[in-house]
Amino acid sequence: MSAPFFKYGLFGEETSLIVAFAIGIGFGFFLERAGFGSARKLVSQFYLDDLAVFKVMFTAIVTAMLGVTYLAWLGWLDLSLVYKTPTYWVAQLVGGLVLGAGFVVGGYCPGTSVAAAATGRLDGLSYLLGVGAGTLLFAGAFPAIKGLYYAGEMGVQTLPGVLHLPYGLVVFAVVLMAVGGFAGATWVEHRRAATHEEE
Amino acid sequence: MRLTLNQRLGLAAVALGALAVFADVDRGPVLAFHEKDLLATIQQEADHVAPSELAAWIIEGRRDYRLLDLRDEKAYGEYHVPTAESVPIEALRDAVLLPNEKVVLYSDGGIHAAQAWMLLRARGHRAAYTLRGGLDAWKEAVLFPAAPADPRAVAVATFFGGAPRGGASGPAPALQAPALPKVEAAPPPRAGAAPARRKKEGC
Repeated sequence: MSAPFFKYGLFGEETSLIVAFAIGIGFGFFLERAGFGSARKLVSQFYLDDLAVFKVMFTAIVTAMLGVTYLAWLGWLDLSLVYKTPTYWVAQLVGGLVLGAGFVVGGYCPGTSVAAAATGRLDGLSYLLGVGAGTLLFAGAFPAIKGLYYAGEMGVQTLPGVLHLPYGLVVFAVVLMAVGGFAGATWVEHRRAATHEEE
Repeated sequence: MRLTLNQRLGLAAVALGALAVFADVDRGPVLAFHEKDLLATIQQEADHVAPSELAAWIIEGRRDYRLLDLRDEKAYGEYHVPTAESVPIEALRDAVLLPNEKVVLYSDGGIHAAQAWMLLRARGHRAAYTLRGGLDAWKEAVLFPAAPADPRAVAVATFFGGAPRGGASGPAPALQAPALPKVEAAPPPRAGAAPARRKKEGC
Protein backbone atom coordinates (compact mmCIF):
# COMPACT_ATOMS: atom_id res chain seq x y z
CA MET A 1 0.00 0.00 0.00
CA SER A 2 1.40 3.31 -1.02
CA ALA A 3 0.37 6.95 -0.78
CA PRO A 4 -1.09 9.28 -2.00
CA PHE A 5 -4.14 7.21 -1.06
CA PHE A 6 -6.64 9.29 -3.01
CA LYS A 7 -4.67 9.12 -6.25
CA TYR A 8 -4.29 5.37 -5.89
CA GLY A 9 -8.04 5.08 -5.45
CA LEU A 10 -7.92 3.80 -1.87
CA PHE A 11 -10.80 6.11 -1.06
CA GLY A 12 -13.16 8.16 -3.17
CA GLU A 13 -14.46 11.71 -3.29
CA GLU A 14 -16.80 11.35 -0.29
CA THR A 15 -14.17 9.86 2.01
CA SER A 16 -11.71 12.52 0.88
CA LEU A 17 -14.16 15.14 2.17
CA ILE A 18 -14.21 13.43 5.57
CA VAL A 19 -10.41 13.29 5.58
CA ALA A 20 -10.28 16.99 4.63
CA PHE A 21 -12.72 17.77 7.45
CA ALA A 22 -10.57 15.94 10.02
CA ILE A 23 -7.40 17.66 8.81
CA GLY A 24 -9.23 21.01 8.83
CA ILE A 25 -10.27 20.48 12.46
CA GLY A 26 -6.65 19.76 13.35
CA PHE A 27 -5.42 22.79 11.43
CA GLY A 28 -7.93 25.11 13.07
CA PHE A 29 -7.18 23.66 16.51
CA PHE A 30 -3.46 24.32 16.22
CA LEU A 31 -3.95 27.78 14.73
CA GLU A 32 -6.07 28.68 17.71
CA ARG A 33 -3.71 27.01 20.21
CA ALA A 34 -0.79 28.98 18.70
CA GLY A 35 -2.74 32.15 19.40
CA PHE A 36 -3.34 32.85 15.74
CA GLY A 37 -7.01 33.60 16.30
CA SER A 38 -5.88 36.99 17.58
CA ALA A 39 -5.14 39.77 15.10
CA ARG A 40 -2.84 41.42 17.66
CA LYS A 41 -0.64 38.34 17.84
CA LEU A 42 -0.56 38.02 14.05
CA VAL A 43 0.19 41.66 13.32
CA SER A 44 2.92 41.90 15.93
CA GLN A 45 5.11 39.85 13.61
CA PHE A 46 5.16 42.80 11.21
CA TYR A 47 6.52 44.99 14.02
CA LEU A 48 9.09 42.23 14.75
CA ASP A 49 7.77 42.03 18.35
CA ASP A 50 6.53 38.44 18.13
CA LEU A 51 7.67 36.17 15.31
CA ALA A 52 5.53 33.20 16.35
CA VAL A 53 3.79 33.14 12.96
CA PHE A 54 7.09 32.82 11.16
CA LYS A 55 8.25 30.12 13.58
CA VAL A 56 5.03 28.11 13.53
CA MET A 57 4.66 28.23 9.74
CA PHE A 58 8.31 27.39 9.09
CA THR A 59 8.13 24.57 11.67
CA ALA A 60 5.10 23.18 9.85
CA ILE A 61 6.94 23.39 6.52
CA VAL A 62 10.05 21.66 7.87
CA THR A 63 8.04 18.97 9.68
CA ALA A 64 5.96 18.23 6.58
CA MET A 65 9.04 18.28 4.36
CA LEU A 66 10.97 15.85 6.57
CA GLY A 67 7.84 13.71 6.89
CA VAL A 68 7.25 13.32 3.15
CA THR A 69 10.98 12.87 2.52
CA TYR A 70 11.23 9.96 4.94
CA LEU A 71 7.92 8.45 3.80
CA ALA A 72 9.15 8.59 0.20
CA TRP A 73 12.52 7.16 1.26
CA LEU A 74 10.73 4.26 2.92
CA GLY A 75 8.75 3.77 -0.27
CA TRP A 76 5.40 4.59 1.37
CA LEU A 77 4.75 7.74 -0.63
CA ASP A 78 5.20 8.44 -4.32
CA LEU A 79 6.34 12.06 -4.31
CA SER A 80 5.83 12.44 -8.05
CA LEU A 81 2.08 12.01 -7.50
CA VAL A 82 1.81 14.68 -4.82
CA TYR A 83 0.13 17.76 -6.29
CA LYS A 84 2.42 20.72 -6.79
CA THR A 85 1.06 24.16 -7.57
CA PRO A 86 2.38 25.50 -10.86
CA THR A 87 4.42 28.69 -10.71
CA TYR A 88 3.03 31.90 -12.23
CA TRP A 89 5.69 34.20 -10.88
CA VAL A 90 4.13 37.54 -11.88
CA ALA A 91 0.65 36.57 -10.69
CA GLN A 92 2.02 35.11 -7.45
CA LEU A 93 4.18 38.17 -6.81
CA VAL A 94 1.20 40.48 -7.22
CA GLY A 95 -1.04 38.13 -5.24
CA GLY A 96 1.55 37.89 -2.46
CA LEU A 97 1.76 41.65 -2.20
CA VAL A 98 -2.04 41.98 -2.06
CA LEU A 99 -2.28 39.24 0.58
CA GLY A 100 0.57 40.76 2.59
CA ALA A 101 -0.99 44.22 2.52
CA GLY A 102 -4.34 42.74 3.53
CA PHE A 103 -2.65 40.80 6.33
CA VAL A 104 -1.03 43.94 7.77
CA VAL A 105 -4.18 46.05 7.48
CA GLY A 106 -6.78 43.44 8.45
CA GLY A 107 -4.72 41.47 10.92
CA TYR A 108 -5.53 38.06 9.47
CA CYS A 109 -4.76 35.76 6.61
CA PRO A 110 -7.67 33.74 5.20
CA GLY A 111 -7.13 30.65 7.39
CA THR A 112 -6.61 32.53 10.62
CA SER A 113 -9.69 34.67 9.92
CA VAL A 114 -11.77 31.48 9.89
CA ALA A 115 -10.20 30.41 13.20
CA ALA A 116 -10.90 33.89 14.64
CA ALA A 117 -14.51 33.90 13.40
CA ALA A 118 -15.06 30.43 14.87
CA THR A 119 -14.05 31.70 18.32
CA GLY A 120 -16.58 34.52 17.98
CA ARG A 121 -14.25 37.40 17.20
CA LEU A 122 -16.15 40.05 15.26
CA ASP A 123 -13.08 41.32 13.44
CA GLY A 124 -12.46 37.76 12.22
CA LEU A 125 -16.06 37.51 11.09
CA SER A 126 -15.98 40.80 9.20
CA TYR A 127 -12.65 39.77 7.63
CA LEU A 128 -14.28 36.50 6.54
CA LEU A 129 -17.19 38.42 4.97
CA GLY A 130 -14.61 40.52 3.16
CA VAL A 131 -12.93 37.36 1.87
CA GLY A 132 -16.31 36.19 0.52
CA ALA A 133 -17.05 39.53 -1.09
CA GLY A 134 -13.56 39.71 -2.57
CA THR A 135 -13.96 36.22 -4.02
CA LEU A 136 -17.21 37.24 -5.69
CA LEU A 137 -15.59 40.42 -6.99
CA PHE A 138 -12.68 38.42 -8.34
CA ALA A 139 -15.01 35.96 -10.08
CA GLY A 140 -16.95 38.83 -11.66
CA ALA A 141 -13.82 40.65 -12.78
CA PHE A 142 -12.04 37.50 -13.93
CA PRO A 143 -12.44 38.09 -17.70
CA ALA A 144 -10.75 41.48 -17.29
CA ILE A 145 -7.85 40.24 -15.16
CA LYS A 146 -7.34 36.86 -16.79
CA GLY A 147 -4.04 38.02 -18.30
CA LEU A 148 -2.65 38.81 -14.86
CA TYR A 149 -3.98 35.55 -13.43
CA TYR A 150 -1.82 33.53 -15.83
CA ALA A 151 1.12 35.96 -16.01
CA GLY A 152 4.62 34.56 -15.66
CA GLU A 153 3.72 30.92 -16.19
CA MET A 154 6.63 28.58 -15.53
CA GLY A 155 4.88 25.24 -15.01
CA VAL A 156 5.59 23.16 -11.92
CA GLN A 157 8.91 24.22 -10.44
CA THR A 158 10.72 22.69 -7.50
CA LEU A 159 13.85 23.88 -5.71
CA PRO A 160 15.89 20.77 -6.59
CA GLY A 161 14.87 21.23 -10.25
CA VAL A 162 15.63 24.94 -10.42
CA LEU A 163 18.90 24.71 -8.46
CA HIS A 164 20.00 21.42 -10.11
CA LEU A 165 20.78 20.02 -6.68
CA PRO A 166 19.98 16.60 -5.20
CA TYR A 167 16.64 16.47 -3.41
CA GLY A 168 18.13 15.46 -0.05
CA LEU A 169 20.64 18.30 -0.11
CA VAL A 170 17.87 20.86 -0.63
CA VAL A 171 15.96 19.30 2.28
CA PHE A 172 19.00 19.70 4.53
CA ALA A 173 19.55 23.28 3.34
CA VAL A 174 15.91 24.20 4.09
CA VAL A 175 16.22 22.68 7.60
CA LEU A 176 19.39 24.70 8.24
CA MET A 177 17.65 27.80 6.90
CA ALA A 178 14.72 27.21 9.27
CA VAL A 179 16.86 26.57 12.34
CA GLY A 180 18.98 29.63 11.50
CA GLY A 181 15.76 31.60 10.97
CA PHE A 182 14.39 30.51 14.38
CA ALA A 183 17.61 31.55 16.13
CA GLY A 184 17.59 34.86 14.25
CA ALA A 185 13.90 35.44 15.01
CA THR A 186 14.42 34.77 18.72
CA TRP A 187 17.37 37.19 18.75
CA VAL A 188 15.25 39.86 17.01
CA GLU A 189 12.42 39.34 19.54
CA HIS A 190 14.80 39.76 22.47
CA ARG A 191 16.27 42.89 20.89
CA ARG A 192 12.78 44.37 20.42
CA ALA A 193 11.77 43.48 23.97
CA ALA A 194 14.91 45.23 25.28
CA THR A 195 14.17 48.29 23.15
CA HIS A 196 10.61 48.45 24.48
CA GLU A 197 11.89 48.28 28.06
CA GLU A 198 14.28 51.16 27.40
CA GLU A 199 11.42 53.22 26.05
CA MET B 1 24.45 23.83 29.23
CA ARG B 2 20.89 22.63 29.38
CA LEU B 3 19.02 22.80 26.09
CA THR B 4 15.43 23.99 25.93
CA LEU B 5 12.78 21.81 24.28
CA ASN B 6 12.78 24.07 21.22
CA GLN B 7 16.53 23.79 20.89
CA ARG B 8 16.36 20.02 21.19
CA LEU B 9 13.65 19.84 18.53
CA GLY B 10 15.75 22.09 16.30
CA LEU B 11 18.75 19.78 16.73
CA ALA B 12 16.56 16.77 15.90
CA ALA B 13 15.39 18.52 12.72
CA VAL B 14 19.01 19.25 11.74
CA ALA B 15 19.95 15.60 12.34
CA LEU B 16 17.00 14.35 10.28
CA GLY B 17 17.82 16.89 7.57
CA ALA B 18 21.47 15.80 7.48
CA LEU B 19 20.41 12.17 7.13
CA ALA B 20 17.95 13.17 4.39
CA VAL B 21 20.93 14.19 2.21
CA PHE B 22 21.31 10.48 1.53
CA ALA B 23 17.61 9.94 0.90
CA ASP B 24 16.88 8.04 -2.26
CA VAL B 25 13.50 9.50 -3.06
CA ASP B 26 11.73 7.37 -5.63
CA ARG B 27 10.07 9.59 -8.19
CA GLY B 28 7.75 6.81 -9.30
CA PRO B 29 7.63 5.12 -12.67
CA VAL B 30 7.33 8.24 -14.78
CA LEU B 31 7.37 7.47 -18.50
CA ALA B 32 8.47 9.76 -21.30
CA PHE B 33 7.92 9.84 -25.05
CA HIS B 34 10.02 11.05 -27.90
CA GLU B 35 7.33 13.36 -29.21
CA LYS B 36 8.42 13.64 -32.86
CA ASP B 37 9.06 9.91 -33.15
CA LEU B 38 5.66 9.14 -31.70
CA LEU B 39 3.85 11.61 -33.95
CA ALA B 40 5.65 10.28 -37.04
CA THR B 41 4.63 6.72 -36.19
CA ILE B 42 1.02 7.79 -35.72
CA GLN B 43 1.01 9.82 -38.93
CA GLN B 44 2.52 7.01 -40.98
CA GLU B 45 -0.10 4.68 -39.49
CA ALA B 46 2.75 2.33 -38.69
CA ASP B 47 1.04 1.48 -35.42
CA HIS B 48 -1.89 -0.55 -36.79
CA VAL B 49 -2.61 -4.02 -38.00
CA ALA B 50 -5.78 -4.34 -40.09
CA PRO B 51 -8.24 -7.08 -39.09
CA SER B 52 -7.80 -8.81 -42.46
CA GLU B 53 -4.05 -8.76 -41.97
CA LEU B 54 -4.34 -10.30 -38.52
CA ALA B 55 -6.75 -12.92 -39.88
CA ALA B 56 -4.17 -13.84 -42.52
CA TRP B 57 -1.46 -14.17 -39.85
CA ILE B 58 -3.64 -16.48 -37.80
CA ILE B 59 -4.58 -18.62 -40.79
CA GLU B 60 -0.93 -18.85 -41.81
CA GLY B 61 -0.15 -19.96 -38.29
CA ARG B 62 2.45 -17.26 -37.79
CA ARG B 63 4.08 -17.28 -34.39
CA ASP B 64 6.22 -14.17 -34.60
CA TYR B 65 3.80 -11.97 -32.68
CA ARG B 66 1.76 -11.95 -29.50
CA LEU B 67 -1.87 -10.93 -29.53
CA LEU B 68 -3.03 -9.33 -26.27
CA ASP B 69 -6.71 -9.01 -25.37
CA LEU B 70 -6.92 -6.00 -23.04
CA ARG B 71 -10.55 -6.52 -21.98
CA ASP B 72 -11.47 -8.07 -18.66
CA GLU B 73 -11.34 -11.82 -18.22
CA LYS B 74 -15.11 -12.21 -18.43
CA ALA B 75 -15.25 -10.56 -21.84
CA TYR B 76 -12.24 -12.63 -22.89
CA GLY B 77 -14.04 -15.78 -21.77
CA GLU B 78 -17.10 -14.92 -23.85
CA TYR B 79 -15.18 -14.34 -27.03
CA HIS B 80 -11.66 -13.50 -28.08
CA VAL B 81 -9.71 -13.55 -31.29
CA PRO B 82 -8.06 -16.95 -31.64
CA THR B 83 -4.45 -17.07 -30.34
CA ALA B 84 -5.09 -14.03 -28.10
CA GLU B 85 -3.83 -13.99 -24.52
CA SER B 86 -5.84 -12.30 -21.82
CA VAL B 87 -3.94 -9.32 -20.41
CA PRO B 88 -6.49 -6.93 -18.88
CA ILE B 89 -5.21 -3.39 -19.33
CA GLU B 90 -4.56 -2.94 -15.61
CA ALA B 91 -2.28 -6.01 -15.72
CA LEU B 92 -0.25 -4.66 -18.64
CA ARG B 93 2.31 -3.23 -16.26
CA ASP B 94 3.16 -6.70 -15.00
CA ALA B 95 3.10 -8.38 -18.41
CA VAL B 96 6.49 -9.76 -19.35
CA LEU B 97 7.28 -8.71 -22.90
CA LEU B 98 10.58 -9.28 -24.63
CA PRO B 99 12.12 -6.05 -25.90
CA ASN B 100 11.63 -6.66 -29.63
CA GLU B 101 8.61 -8.91 -29.44
CA LYS B 102 5.89 -7.89 -31.86
CA VAL B 103 2.79 -7.22 -29.80
CA VAL B 104 -0.68 -6.61 -31.20
CA LEU B 105 -3.14 -5.06 -28.76
CA TYR B 106 -6.88 -5.00 -28.99
CA SER B 107 -9.88 -3.99 -26.93
CA ASP B 108 -13.54 -3.58 -27.88
CA GLY B 109 -13.08 -0.30 -29.71
CA GLY B 110 -9.76 1.35 -30.23
CA ILE B 111 -9.29 3.52 -27.18
CA HIS B 112 -7.94 1.13 -24.55
CA ALA B 113 -5.66 -0.45 -27.13
CA ALA B 114 -4.33 2.97 -28.15
CA GLN B 115 -3.76 3.90 -24.50
CA ALA B 116 -1.94 0.63 -23.89
CA TRP B 117 0.08 1.24 -27.05
CA MET B 118 1.19 4.61 -25.69
CA LEU B 119 2.23 2.98 -22.41
CA LEU B 120 4.25 0.31 -24.18
CA ARG B 121 5.90 2.89 -26.45
CA ALA B 122 6.78 5.00 -23.45
CA ARG B 123 8.35 1.93 -21.89
CA GLY B 124 10.55 1.71 -24.97
CA HIS B 125 8.69 -1.18 -26.57
CA ARG B 126 8.82 -0.25 -30.24
CA ALA B 127 7.21 -3.30 -31.82
CA ALA B 128 3.73 -2.54 -30.48
CA TYR B 129 0.67 -2.39 -32.73
CA THR B 130 -3.04 -2.06 -32.28
CA LEU B 131 -5.74 -3.95 -34.11
CA ARG B 132 -7.34 -1.23 -36.21
CA GLY B 133 -10.85 -0.65 -34.94
CA GLY B 134 -10.48 -3.25 -32.21
CA LEU B 135 -12.75 -6.23 -31.73
CA ASP B 136 -15.67 -4.31 -33.24
CA ALA B 137 -13.81 -4.03 -36.53
CA TRP B 138 -12.70 -7.66 -36.27
CA LYS B 139 -16.33 -8.77 -36.04
CA GLU B 140 -17.40 -6.49 -38.85
CA ALA B 141 -14.57 -7.19 -41.25
CA VAL B 142 -13.63 -10.79 -40.53
CA LEU B 143 -16.34 -12.64 -38.66
CA PHE B 144 -19.47 -11.18 -40.18
CA PRO B 145 -18.48 -9.30 -43.34
CA ALA B 146 -21.34 -7.56 -45.10
CA ALA B 147 -22.35 -9.55 -48.19
CA PRO B 148 -18.87 -10.17 -49.53
CA ALA B 149 -18.46 -10.58 -53.25
CA ASP B 150 -15.09 -12.13 -52.57
CA PRO B 151 -15.37 -15.86 -51.88
CA ARG B 152 -12.11 -15.61 -49.97
CA ALA B 153 -13.79 -13.38 -47.39
CA VAL B 154 -16.49 -16.01 -46.97
CA ALA B 155 -13.82 -18.62 -46.44
CA VAL B 156 -12.03 -16.45 -43.88
CA ALA B 157 -15.29 -15.77 -42.03
CA THR B 158 -16.09 -19.46 -42.01
CA PHE B 159 -12.58 -20.26 -40.81
CA PHE B 160 -13.12 -18.11 -37.75
CA GLY B 161 -16.60 -19.52 -37.13
CA GLY B 162 -18.45 -16.48 -38.47
CA ALA B 163 -20.67 -16.00 -41.49
CA PRO B 164 -21.25 -13.21 -43.98
CA ARG B 165 -24.24 -11.04 -43.33
CA GLY B 166 -27.02 -11.16 -45.93
CA GLY B 167 -28.30 -8.28 -48.08
CA ALA B 168 -26.22 -7.22 -51.04
CA SER B 169 -26.94 -3.52 -50.73
CA GLY B 170 -27.50 -0.89 -48.13
CA PRO B 171 -25.48 -0.03 -45.07
CA ALA B 172 -24.29 -2.79 -42.83
CA PRO B 173 -26.76 -3.47 -40.01
CA ALA B 174 -25.81 -2.91 -36.43
CA LEU B 175 -23.56 -5.69 -35.36
CA GLN B 176 -25.31 -7.59 -32.66
CA ALA B 177 -27.46 -10.13 -34.40
CA PRO B 178 -24.91 -12.81 -35.23
CA ALA B 179 -24.00 -15.02 -32.31
CA LEU B 180 -20.34 -15.07 -31.62
CA PRO B 181 -18.60 -18.31 -32.41
CA LYS B 182 -17.22 -20.32 -29.52
CA VAL B 183 -13.49 -20.13 -29.46
CA GLU B 184 -11.81 -23.33 -28.45
CA ALA B 185 -8.95 -21.65 -26.76
CA ALA B 186 -7.84 -22.10 -23.23
CA PRO B 187 -9.09 -19.74 -20.55
CA PRO B 188 -6.77 -16.89 -19.68
CA PRO B 189 -3.53 -18.07 -18.17
CA ARG B 190 -3.47 -17.87 -14.42
CA ALA B 191 -0.62 -17.99 -12.05
CA GLY B 192 -0.03 -21.50 -10.85
CA ALA B 193 -2.11 -23.13 -13.55
CA ALA B 194 -0.34 -25.05 -16.29
CA PRO B 195 -0.45 -23.18 -19.58
CA ALA B 196 -3.02 -24.92 -21.73
CA ARG B 197 -2.09 -23.11 -24.90
CA ARG B 198 1.13 -23.26 -26.82
CA LYS B 199 3.61 -21.09 -25.12
CA LYS B 200 4.96 -18.13 -27.01
CA GLU B 201 8.69 -18.19 -26.77
CA GLY B 202 9.26 -14.83 -28.39
CA CYS B 203 12.22 -14.58 -30.70
